[in-house]
Amino acid sequence: MIVWCVIFGFIAGIVGGMGMGGGTLLVPLLSLLDIPQRQMQAINLISFLPMCAVALIFHFKNKLVVTKNIGFTVIPACLSSLGGAVLAQNLDNGLLKILFGIFILVVGIRMMVQSFRKKKLKCVKGNVHDRQLNVAANLPHRSHRSS
Amino acid sequence: MTANKKVLCVAGGLLGGFINGLMGGGGGVVIVLLLTGLYGLSAKKAQATALLVILPLTVISAVVYIIGGADWGNVLSTSAGFTVGGAVGALLLNKLPSVAVRRIFALLLIAGGIRMLFF
Repeated sequence: MIVWCVIFGFIAGIVGGMGMGGGTLLVPLLSLLDIPQRQMQAINLISFLPMCAVALIFHFKNKLVVTKNIGFTVIPACLSSLGGAVLAQNLDNGLLKILFGIFILVVGIRMMVQSFRKKKLKCVKGNVHDRQLNVAANLPHRSHRSS
Repeated sequence: MTANKKVLCVAGGLLGGFINGLMGGGGGVVIVLLLTGLYGLSAKKAQATALLVILPLTVISAVVYIIGGADWGNVLSTSAGFTVGGAVGALLLNKLPSVAVRRIFALLLIAGGIRMLFF
C-alpha cells in the first residue's frame, strides 16, 4: 500500500511539476487502492503544499508571479475554500467521488479539445507563412517575365 | 481595473476556492482561466501566479481535512513520491513534446473520471 502511494505520488508529481495539475491525476490513481474519497482529497491537499512552496520560490525569482490586484481573488477564494472543505467533511464519500469524477471528466475533455485546437491554429499560421514565402519567392520571377 | 472586473475576480475566486476545498484540488484550473481572462496574464505567468492564489487556500482546506482525520502513513508516503516526481517533472518540462504529454494526461483524466463515476 505504502509502496503504491509512493509510486502514484511520483507519477502525479511529474505531471504536477510540468505545471499541468498533478493533483487532478493523483486522486484517480489513488482510487485504484480503494482509499476513501475524503482521505484521498486530504492526501492531495497536503502533498501539494511542499511542491507548491518550492515552485513559487522559483517563479518569484523568475518574476513570473503577478501580485497586482490579486487580493480580489485570494481573499474570497480563501473564504470559500473553508466553506468547501467544511462541506466535504459532511458529505458522503460516494457523493464526493461522483463530484470528483464529473470534474476530472470535464477537465480532461476540455484539455483534449484544446490540444487539437492549438495544433490547428499552428497549422493555419504555418500555411499563411508558407504562402507569404511563396509569394515573395514568385515576385522576382514574375517581374523578370514581365520585363 | 474596472468595478465589473473586480466583481468577476471576486466571483471567480469564490468558485475556485470552493472547488478546491470541496474536492481537495482542481481549483487551479479555474484560477488559471481567471488570471488569463480577467487579469490578462500570459499562460506562463498565470500558472505561476495561480500557485500564489492556491497556496493559502490549500493550507486552510488542509487544516480542515486534518481536523476531520487524515491517514498520515498514506499522506507522507504519497507526499514523498509527489515531491520527488515534481522535481523530475520540472526538469523534464522542456524535454518532452508538450502536446503529446497533454493528450496522454487528458486521456488519463477521462479514463479516471469514467472509472470513478461508473465502476
